[in-house]
Amino acid sequence: MTCDTARGLILDAIRGRLPDASARELRQHLETCAACRAFEASERALSEALDTKLPQYAAPLALKRRLQGIWPHAAAPVRARRWSSPLARMAAVAAAVAVVAGGAGSVLATRSAERERLAGESVNDHLRLLAGAPLATVTGGLHEVKPWFGGKLDFAPSLRFAGDEDFPLLGGAVERFLDRPAAVFVFQRRLHKVSLFVMSLPGLDFPLRPTSRPVRGFNVVLWQANDQGYALVSDLNLDELLQLQKRIATAGP
Amino acid sequence: MAHIDASEVLAHADGLYNFARWLCADAAEAEDLVQETYARALASAHQFQPGTSLRAWLFRILRNAFLDRRRRAAPTISGEEPSDDVLGDVSTDELGQEQVRRLVAADVAAAVHDLREPFRTVVLLDMEGFTDAESANILGCSEGTVKSRLSRARARLRSQLAAYGPRP
Repeated sequence: MTCDTARGLILDAIRGRLPDASARELRQHLETCAACRAFEASERALSEALDTKLPQYAAPLALKRRLQGIWPHAAAPVRARRWSSPLARMAAVAAAVAVVAGGAGSVLATRSAERERLAGESVNDHLRLLAGAPLATVTGGLHEVKPWFGGKLDFAPSLRFAGDEDFPLLGGAVERFLDRPAAVFVFQRRLHKVSLFVMSLPGLDFPLRPTSRPVRGFNVVLWQANDQGYALVSDLNLDELLQLQKRIATAGP
Repeated sequence: MAHIDASEVLAHADGLYNFARWLCADAAEAEDLVQETYARALASAHQFQPGTSLRAWLFRILRNAFLDRRRRAAPTISGEEPSDDVLGDVSTDELGQEQVRRLVAADVAAAVHDLREPFRTVVLLDMEGFTDAESANILGCSEGTVKSRLSRARARLRSQLAAYGPRP
């Protein structure tokens, strides 16, 4: 196998789409070719970067409502469907049952609904803070805010970004987030307040990579790291909110 | 007579909207595009072949609607599909795991946005899990063209992202 041929197969191999014989041949080539091994490592690194760090946008609820209006529930006619196998027929029956049961009928829709719930709760809690929920004193910065959480939470919130001149840290608070307590860090950008909710992860479907969505005029960015879920919410524009997210995610010890 | 159920098509709204957001200049245009996609799909539902991928069919309609909009916006520009030599220079810098660890969403988003649309599109379709053959069907081009664009787009992304982080 030549290097050109090998490199043409590497992405398919990473995707698990290569026939066994070709995969074997590729592995043999990689064992003997350092340059192609480096190329494969770089391709894997890119796939990881795209899969875990490229923001994903969920359709806004208002758009989904408009789409429901476009697509009548009586449904659009297509040519008569002939099930090609008993398995396909069973799948169709299962899908029909899911629809009858009132669910959206897909994992995608379920996950999307869960993310909507997380984003919606973030906005509700952010609004409670804007309405005047008390913040911990922050005269000493992050190293004074974090100990303040001691005894109030059953986990240590993982945050290294102590604020800076663009996004000063105003304070911390504890808020109820769905079924659990969350640490809240409040930052400021010009006249905009930004709330960061940090909570323990089990049972909550925070996305692996930062995912933004607009909710009722606010922007919300959700992600997970260090077994904790993070929700960043503000009426700040999305570009600046993502700048803050970047600083939070990359701050050193 | 069977039907395309509303829940079946609406289940793809998030994926289509995400695709539209990466094609369009802003969120409002992306919403318009998704809405137009569903209107077109409804109007041509009788053309959908049962047993084929509804998702791929919807993505193809969205991409075509996007190209139609672009043609209307710039009617004097002909030839929507640039040849495969217009991606620009690609350095030989490669990407390491340590660099990926240091990358953040804004870095990756900027690199993807920097790709010209046909190249960005093949990357997005690949991320959506479409095979090269399915992407070729969505784009109305050959599988070889998809492979070539994807390869060049990924080379560009590796080079761009490697430039953001420290060398391994």
